[in-house]
Amino acid sequence: MDGMTTLTVAAPPVDVQQLLTEKPRVPISVGVLLPLAILGLWELASHLRWVKPVFLPTPEKTVLAFFTMLTKQDFLLDFLASIEIVLQGFIYGAGLGILLGGAAGLSRTTQRILGPTLDSIRQIPAIAWLPLIVLWLGIGPLAKVVIITKVVFFPVFLNTLQGIRGVPKDYIDLAQVLTLRRWQFIRRIIIPAATPSILVGVRYGAGMAWAMVVVAEGLSGMQGIGYLVFRAQALLLTDQLLVCMVVIGLVGFIIDRGVLLPERYLLRWKQGFEGT
Amino acid sequence: MTEQGSLRLRHVGKQYQVKGRIFDVLHDVTLDAEPGSFISLVGSSGCGKSTLLRLIVGLDPTYDGRILLDGEPIRGTSLRRGIVFQDHRLLPWLTLSENIGLSLANVDWPQQRKRDAVREHIELVGLTGFEQAYPYQLSGGMAQRAAIARGLVSEPEILLLDEPLGALDALTRIRLQDELLRIWQARRVTMILVTHDVEEAIYLGDRVLVMQPHPGRITREIVLALPRPRDRASQRFNEIRQQILRDMGAFGALAA
Repeated sequence: MDGMTTLTVAAPPVDVQQLLTEKPRVPISVGVLLPLAILGLWELASHLRWVKPVFLPTPEKTVLAFFTMLTKQDFLLDFLASIEIVLQGFIYGAGLGILLGGAAGLSRTTQRILGPTLDSIRQIPAIAWLPLIVLWLGIGPLAKVVIITKVVFFPVFLNTLQGIRGVPKDYIDLAQVLTLRRWQFIRRIIIPAATPSILVGVRYGAGMAWAMVVVAEGLSGMQGIGYLVFRAQALLLTDQLLVCMVVIGLVGFIIDRGVLLPERYLLRWKQGFEGT
Repeated sequence: MTEQGSLRLRHVGKQYQVKGRIFDVLHDVTLDAEPGSFISLVGSSGCGKSTLLRLIVGLDPTYDGRILLDGEPIRGTSLRRGIVFQDHRLLPWLTLSENIGLSLANVDWPQQRKRDAVREHIELVGLTGFEQAYPYQLSGGMAQRAAIARGLVSEPEILLLDEPLGALDALTRIRLQDELLRIWQARRVTMILVTHDVEEAIYLGDRVLVMQPHPGRITREIVLALPRPRDRASQRFNEIRQQILRDMGAFGALAA
């Protein structure tokens, strides 16, 4: 070896495309691990009598109770009654929320007229409204529909208003440059720009609606899944109580995911951070 | 056919009032743009060059002096005056062709002609094949091309370019400068380019107007008789650049 030698160290090739597209491959099914663990714990706790059976029946007994409720009792009717109330209240609340939120978002005058009244009504929780509404409308489904409407209305209203007011000034300049008329401006710019925010309100409202129907049925009336929950507690039918709770949880989960589907379609133009 | 697209500014001024104090953003700006000419407005930030474009496009109706297009005072915005902003400002919920087509929402053409115009302009800016892409799927350069197509599709007499290449990387920028030149030569539309990039101003313009701040005003006009395409490395090019930079006060700090 004489003189100088040059050593070239080549960097290992990096597949940039792979770096960009590869995501940690954790299957979506890992989400069931935790429920399975809880179920296992439940099995142990009930079979080993960590908790008295009257307070914690075994999962098997609970499943049996579910079939008894389905076949020998009117569980399905109660369930559908709750669903119908939620559906109606949700549609009215979301519809009104988008309508009035849109009107208030587009017009400062409307906002000034509605603002103080709505902001005050909003401060009175739905539970506090319920006794008065039941006095007026009775313990039937109508009172509950009104309460659900109220519960859904506010998040949708506020998010619609905020979504419209959050439209960037730059887009307003653009609309002017393109000489869009007012309706074109609303349809092509305001509505799409406000949609993400509106959907946040709708999704939140949907969750609130389902939770609220349980409470409202529990507090008044003789029907619905919320009624069953409170009745089961009073009669110490813990297995039925657990059935109701699981069903409420599952339906809430389905509602939440269900709202995500149209969201994905409506916001297909949007690409946000999807997590790593 | 009488040539359209002549822009005249007469003693245009613009003031802002901030907390009772009056700021002169633009002072006594007079300029003439002949139909089909390319004018570069160059200046440091704060010299009012973007404000001037806002006045010409019609986004701000409160100013002194007169702005005339083909001899008529401008009123509000109009499809006769197009603009390309520094941010591409494509609407994220519309596809590329929908974004460009939005320019034609209030143009009185049959649907078929609108569709053809959109297609031709996508072709003009070299984005054929991306018609259905959403803006997030486009690179910065592609989005800016789309914005240029949107500015041109309604066949304006004048296209205002507000630092349209300012946010792009150097290479994309140089490529798009050539594109812009090609499009301008193909369409012969009057173009007014606002930029803080002196080289870009010289490379593209028939004339370069140098603006200076406090108050914003035009302090020099340079007529460029250099043949196109211009050689950025040539001596003449660099002399002009030195001259403009001196006018902009770039060497003030060194001289002091």
